[in-house]
Amino acid sequence: MKKNEFLSALDELLELEDGTLKGSESLDSLESWDSLAIISFIALADERCGVSLKPRQISDCSTIEDLAGLLGDRITVEVLA
Amino acid sequence: MLNPMDLTGQTILVTGASSGIGRETSRLLSQLGARLVLVARNEERLAETLRLLEGDGHTVQPFDLALTAEIPRWLKKITASAGPLHGLVHSAGIHKLRPLRVLNPQTVDEVMRINLGAALGLAGGFCQKGVGAPGGSIVFLSSVTGLVGQSGIAAYAASKGAVAAATRSLAVELARERIRVNCVAPGVVATELWDGVLKMLTPEQATALEATHLLGLGRARDVSYAIAFLLAETARWITGTVLVVDGGYTAH
Repeated sequence: MKKNEFLSALDELLELEDGTLKGSESLDSLESWDSLAIISFIALADERCGVSLKPRQISDCSTIEDLAGLLGDRITVEVLA
Repeated sequence: MLNPMDLTGQTILVTGASSGIGRETSRLLSQLGARLVLVARNEERLAETLRLLEGDGHTVQPFDLALTAEIPRWLKKITASAGPLHGLVHSAGIHKLRPLRVLNPQTVDEVMRINLGAALGLAGGFCQKGVGAPGGSIVFLSSVTGLVGQSGIAAYAASKGAVAAATRSLAVELARERIRVNCVAPGVVATELWDGVLKMLTPEQATALEATHLLGLGRARDVSYAIAFLLAETARWITGTVLVVDGGYTAH
């Protein structure tokens, strides 16, 4: 999925308004980043990207960008010609 | 010595026989003298279950229970050769840990289809002439999550609560044919299905969940004993009930 789609999906997951997250945010700073959010992220990665993540990998992340990193090449950044 | 759960001479169909509770139940029922009809999608794993059984005359019937409309016709076909069923256990099921914010309608449909839809299809099929023997016994698998709440599993819980409700109505409807319908509501049991859930939990979350079971987590056999009890003469006067087997999870 595209980067902006990923950020939108995370906005939804964290019950934020669409367009809120930019990627640099630290997870600790986000109020709704709780244990249920972690489970939701694992489900999202599985269903939308076919990637199987473990809770440990996620707890090793500090920022939204780190989460995107877990999904590797499944997140594509649009290059404008 | 008396064995009140003796199932000698009885033919019993078990879905989800390829793993977990379904596999262990098939093994126990064979030890009690029953002839098993093993059902699941995975033929290789069904063959493994077959190797675990005692006695003979058992058969393997691969089938995808998602094809709910096909179930009655399929049951009629297999009982034409296997003979009528004295009992039916629906142990096949899906569990999905999907908090509401990531729960999509397709997942809801998928979970309801196998957990509830197939149960109703199997009951309907069982009632056909020549499929279910008179005085037959149907056992569904519900869950404690169908009785008490837990975060992240609304769809699964709904499907298992629905199974318990369906059990009661079917018990009323099929009583005139002397077919008993009951369900077992297990707590967390150490099976492949639970391994799938564990992958999504932190060690702390897993430990906390385990601690809510007064007697620790269950084993497949614990549930199998309850199923056998409901299938056998021991439950002659039991229908429309939910037998909770949960290590004390719902006691507090």
